[in-house]
Amino acid sequence: MHRVLFGVLIAAIFGLSISYLFLGLLPVQSILLSISVTTIIITACVFGVLLLMMRPIHLIMRAITMRSGEPTVQTPPNPNVSSLISGNLKPVLDTIYGSSPMTPAVGFSATQAVTTATPALSLLEHALEQTSCGIIALNAERKVIAHNVHAPIKEGADKQPEIELEFINMESLDEWLDSLSNTAVHAEKTWQRVSNKLAGEEGRRMFDIIATYERGSQTETVIACYERTLQYMPEEDDLDFIAFAAHELRGPITVIRGYLDVLGMELEDSLDDDQRELLKRLVVSSNRLSGYINNILNASRFDRRHLKVHLKEETIEKIYDTISDDMTMRATAQNRILSVKFDHNLPTIAADKGSIGEVLGNLIDNAIKYSNEGGIISVYAEIEGDFLKVSVADRGIGMPSNVIENLFKKFYRSHRSRETVAGTGIGLYICKAFIESHGGFISVRSQEGVGSIFSFTLPIYSTVKQQLLEGDNLTLIRQQHGWIKNHSSFRG
Amino acid sequence: MAIHTVLVIEDDRFIGEMYVRSLSKSGYEVDWMVDGNDGLVAARNKAYDLIILDIMLPERRGNEILDALRNDTEDLIPNSKVLIMTNFEQDDESRMAMQYRADGYLIKAEITPRKLLEIIAELDAVSAK
Repeated sequence: MHRVLFGVLIAAIFGLSISYLFLGLLPVQSILLSISVTTIIITACVFGVLLLMMRPIHLIMRAITMRSGEPTVQTPPNPNVSSLISGNLKPVLDTIYGSSPMTPAVGFSATQAVTTATPALSLLEHALEQTSCGIIALNAERKVIAHNVHAPIKEGADKQPEIELEFINMESLDEWLDSLSNTAVHAEKTWQRVSNKLAGEEGRRMFDIIATYERGSQTETVIACYERTLQYMPEEDDLDFIAFAAHELRGPITVIRGYLDVLGMELEDSLDDDQRELLKRLVVSSNRLSGYINNILNASRFDRRHLKVHLKEETIEKIYDTISDDMTMRATAQNRILSVKFDHNLPTIAADKGSIGEVLGNLIDNAIKYSNEGGIISVYAEIEGDFLKVSVADRGIGMPSNVIENLFKKFYRSHRSRETVAGTGIGLYICKAFIESHGGFISVRSQEGVGSIFSFTLPIYSTVKQQLLEGDNLTLIRQQHGWIKNHSSFRG
Repeated sequence: MAIHTVLVIEDDRFIGEMYVRSLSKSGYEVDWMVDGNDGLVAARNKAYDLIILDIMLPERRGNEILDALRNDTEDLIPNSKVLIMTNFEQDDESRMAMQYRADGYLIKAEITPRKLLEIIAELDAVSAK
């Protein structure tokens, strides 16, 4: 301490001397400047002294931080350094490190302490146990080598942990990893609505999943499973109910449509025009009801990722033929003029006949609903690049632009349509699902008070023929929501 | 071989009567069974040209009946056509298994009697070729 004070005094005298010698200042100014310089020097020296006094405390704090397991980027002090031995800090640090499992018996490695400190790992493990997100790490052999408590894991046949996830109607984790095995070094994929058990099984949970693949890494695949059970399960229950209700509705509608058909056949020669018109209205209404039930069922399939399409070579004319009678009857029953013109030279398309029939039926039905009596509804098709563009145009009430952006959302109905026309708000939603499942695109142009043109595109068969012949339907389908229409040959 | 005799295996009375009525009026000879066991016995005892088979049936389901009549090792109805007609939503696997062994798989709600007659005529035309 004496040495320090002596240094301060010398510095002050040195400062005064410099002022007199080099500046040649007046006495008053010289005195003030000398005082300033001296003050600065004294302050610096005092600060240096304080730092020197604080250093042991700082080293002790770093040692305590390391011992407690708190994450730190600072190197903990090595008690065996000579300056710490001479400064009598070694016994203190030894005491702090005393019970630490990380303290090496001979020679302390700071690097080792930071990188392998068990307390730090414990914190991470604690965090992994705390989070509701399941984390699973797989090695290159796809064996589970680590997972946290919330991960969807079951005990395998050999008592080893196995991933418990059901990738139904979607690319599975294994399929994805197979596809990467010879091609990718790094990849990432997300899945939505993946459950750990099948519907109805006890303990069913649902996840959104992100898998990260890093070839050659010790944990080659890391899977993060974000639990979304609370969000998705009520929706699943709703959809189960919808599917069940739609299925139950099919029985009565079979009878209603069937007996109307029988009556039509048996009374064909005995009905007068007025009675014939009444019967026609019954048929039109029952057919529309049947269409709504199909929409509900298809929407529930789509939401559950069960909607698939089976693409075959078709013509738009033949597809329309499957709904032609029904559409003509609907249009005439409501005094609309339906004009359908397809050029005979149009190319064939890759389409699921039943699904596209439903799309056309929905669009024409909408055009009938939202147009005026006597209005013309035009249906036509044209080539647009590799696609056939099919349009349904009406000269009806049209829509403002703010309605259009929401039009293809489920249950969306514009304020005015709610007031004026009955409907479920899922027809266009399912149209979009079907068209995008074909790799096509659905759009609308509309002007309020003038009318609307709904258009959808379907791939021209020759452009996708190779993929179809290779049986690779999914490569054609951008959104992979396909379902194999079992009854595409004979749909009424 | 032209389709003349038809076995309808359908438990819903309204729907069964509807098929029988429209098929009979169109000249087909129709037998109607309302449960799965009776349907299987009838199909085994008589060589029908066409069997219209529902899936959700009492006693024995339609897929079991089809398995018993036509499977990988034997075909007890080599000269019969089979049309599955159901409103039931099967899983893909079950449905495709039935499709493989049947000549048609139809959703009842979408097939009116007139349409059914057209389909039978198409089946007839295919078998005549």
